[in-house]
Amino acid sequence: MLVKPGIVRAALIACLAAFIMPAHAEDAAWQAVVTAAKKEGKVVVYNMTLGAPYFKEVLKSFETKYGISVESLDLRASELAERIRTEQAAGRYLGDAEMISSTMIEEQLKNGDFIQKLPPIPNIANLRPPFSADEYSVPAFVQPMGILINTRLVKDEDVPKSWDDLTDPKWKGKILSDDMRPLGSGNAMFSILQKNMDADFNMKLAEQKPVFSRDMRNDARRVARGEYPIYIPQIFAFASDLKGLPVKIVIPREGAPYARMDLAVLKNAPHPNAARLFIQHFLGVDAQLIYANAWMLPVAAGAAERADPEAQPFVNAKLIGPATLSDRPSMMGLAKKLYP
Amino acid sequence: MPATPGLSWIGRLLQATSAGRVVAVTLLVVLLTFLSVYPLSMLLYGSLHSTPPGMAGTFNLNGYLQVLTLQSAATLLNTVGISLAKTIPSLVLAVLLAWILARTDTPVRGTLEALITLPFFIPPILTAMAWGMLGNPQVGLLNQLYQWATGSNTAPINVYSYGGVVWHMMQYSVPFLFLLIVDAFRAMDQSLEEAARMCGASRLRTFCTVTLQLMLPALTGAAILSFIRGIENFESPLFFGTPAGIRVITTDIYDSINQRSPPEYQYATAISFVIMALLFLIVLLQWRILRGRSFQTVTGKGYSPTVMKLGKWRWATFAFCLLFFFVTVVLPVGQLLIGSFFKFFGFYQRDMLTLEHYRAVFGSSDFWRGFNNTMLLGFVGATLTMLLGGAVAYISVRTKWRGRRLIDAMAWLPWMMPGIVLGVGFLWGFALLPHAIPIYGTIWALLLAYISLGTPLSVRVMSSAYAQLSFDLEECSRVHGGTWLQTMGRIVIALAWPSFAVGWVLLFFGIMRELSASVLLYSVGSEVLSVVLLKLWANGNAEQVSVIGLIMMGMVILFRWVQLKVIKSRINAL
Repeated sequence: MLVKPGIVRAALIACLAAFIMPAHAEDAAWQAVVTAAKKEGKVVVYNMTLGAPYFKEVLKSFETKYGISVESLDLRASELAERIRTEQAAGRYLGDAEMISSTMIEEQLKNGDFIQKLPPIPNIANLRPPFSADEYSVPAFVQPMGILINTRLVKDEDVPKSWDDLTDPKWKGKILSDDMRPLGSGNAMFSILQKNMDADFNMKLAEQKPVFSRDMRNDARRVARGEYPIYIPQIFAFASDLKGLPVKIVIPREGAPYARMDLAVLKNAPHPNAARLFIQHFLGVDAQLIYANAWMLPVAAGAAERADPEAQPFVNAKLIGPATLSDRPSMMGLAKKLYP
Repeated sequence: MPATPGLSWIGRLLQATSAGRVVAVTLLVVLLTFLSVYPLSMLLYGSLHSTPPGMAGTFNLNGYLQVLTLQSAATLLNTVGISLAKTIPSLVLAVLLAWILARTDTPVRGTLEALITLPFFIPPILTAMAWGMLGNPQVGLLNQLYQWATGSNTAPINVYSYGGVVWHMMQYSVPFLFLLIVDAFRAMDQSLEEAARMCGASRLRTFCTVTLQLMLPALTGAAILSFIRGIENFESPLFFGTPAGIRVITTDIYDSINQRSPPEYQYATAISFVIMALLFLIVLLQWRILRGRSFQTVTGKGYSPTVMKLGKWRWATFAFCLLFFFVTVVLPVGQLLIGSFFKFFGFYQRDMLTLEHYRAVFGSSDFWRGFNNTMLLGFVGATLTMLLGGAVAYISVRTKWRGRRLIDAMAWLPWMMPGIVLGVGFLWGFALLPHAIPIYGTIWALLLAYISLGTPLSVRVMSSAYAQLSFDLEECSRVHGGTWLQTMGRIVIALAWPSFAVGWVLLFFGIMRELSASVLLYSVGSEVLSVVLLKLWANGNAEQVSVIGLIMMGMVILFRWVQLKVIKSRINAL
């Protein structure tokens, strides 16, 4: 049976339209968001980066690309959460988006109504496994942690390759550690290793009598100066600016415990479209590449491959974790028991 | 004496009518209620409610019940012990230094007076880092020097210990106490000491029975302020106590707010009120000690600014001051100064020499914005706080007006609440104000918090100064036709102004360093220097923090130099 060419052409056009029209519609819808965001003129981002240069670089690139100014309010995690809570309780809706740890978001959802459901954001589709957005938040970047060693004090053959190596008696009293009892990186590492290593790992580590401290930035330098040969846990990114010092990060073979930072839109955000556009921009390859080059693990596809050669071991590090909110009470209790 | 026409009605109102006095006291009560009682009432609510303001919850005493544990009692005792251990030697050292520099002919005492106070003005985090490098048992410079000199393998100095905590706190409390009491020593009427000497008392006995006794208001006031600050000290136990397993109340409070999930505001506020109640007992004790006694040393009789001639002993006192200066200033500040010219602290290699940290600070728009905001808040805040403190102290010390005890007590309150908790009180208080009152999210929130935080200090400084002024001076002025305002300006303020100036400098630099309230109240555009420092530190820029610390120190030297020059010229003019 012969089919008329006109009919074939019409059918083809119809099929193509079926594919293209939704994409066009999506484009148009997103373009409307961009236009509305530009009309809003600014976005207020509450975050816990405390003015980190890589965060500032992303803000600058956003401002340059869209002409929308960013007001960044930098606070430490607990202060940030309390400020958002207090402002919203007082009916002062000043912030648009927040960038905060995933557990803090869990806590916000548990304790109140501070963030709104995540609106559609195209770049969410660009997240690389195992990362995915949920109803309220989307991963922004990941901060993995390893072991920092002083290369002058730790011989090549003694470099720990596994978390278990830290329990070797030769390191007794020689490990400087972020305090594992209160909330923070030390406790996050403790929780994650408790779940991922042998049941008695933390007990054996406690027998090594690690010396606790509470100043991560200075602690890495103390190791560099030779006060201690080993520091745990070392956030990769915090060592990226120690180039030239006799220190090295080791990523143990079991993997690197990590903390994940998420982005969310605050309830009654005064600039909701600008907030959406900001999140879209943050999940873009260029913004993620800035984070990758600062030795953090990008959550979007396409950035890790383009990272600087010296950042490569860190952007593709094997991860273990993260710590969850539900584990916290028991893990903090166990840490206090092992380190009275 | 012609009256100031525009303001004379204030003087007439206050002097002539009891209604005027009631108005003045009422105004102060309202002001202090807003500045001190209001944020504290928010915290009291927090201590009695299962959730912070604005969240559904129930009223209960769980926070206070949590305080009543053996663990909390042990931590409290430990805290009191540490604070006493630093306050007593600090007071002894400060008295000795104040006597040497204000009452003796020790060489270059003017320069030494400005220099020995420097550590007080450096952010504690910097001196902690410097002392960590000097006194760690593994590779600390002092231990290495000791080992090099003796050939021993032992490390006698370990700053990560009780001793280290106390020593680091003393770095701040000695200059603080010194600044608070040195002008009281300067204002001493030497004829009283001479009378004791004429009656056969030894120098030591004269010092103990006359000089120290007359200094009681200044000494007890300063010691209490310092003791309370010791209880509330956070940085020293955090940096030097954590590795040694030393627990104090402030680290407990910090953990309960910042390191628990969810934050335990009820416990943090409850334990703060328990501390406040205990500290208030100490203030009551001071009131009891000083009640009914006279400490007037500045009288209508001739004022003798001469100093004690020590003969050859002046070189011993000079050496003592120099040693103190070397240990407390040169060692830590030297580390910071040298470190600021290298890429990394502690790595003093030629290839790491750089001016990059200075370029980064001076080229940073964040720094300049923070610096300008802090200068504005510092000048306005310190001036307003001293005026408020001067008014409260005047009414409290030099009048019998009804309500004077109340305003004095209200002015004490913010000092007794740990800064970390009070910052939260300001956040809750200002955020929950009606939206029509434009304070939250503006620079006004910071200014009001700074005035509240500084008022206790300004009241204490001015109270000590007023306590030394004889009532005869005011009466004499009035007998000669001086109006109330003229008497205030030419007698009371003129004679108390050195203390006013010291208080102003302490408050100005206190504002520069204040972080707990600043970080919770600042908004975009109103960043202050302490927040800039926090951000730099958190991002691993310790060297840039040092540069800013050194700039702050340069300002202190300038301020103190001007201040001491002016004092000297005024004394010479008398």
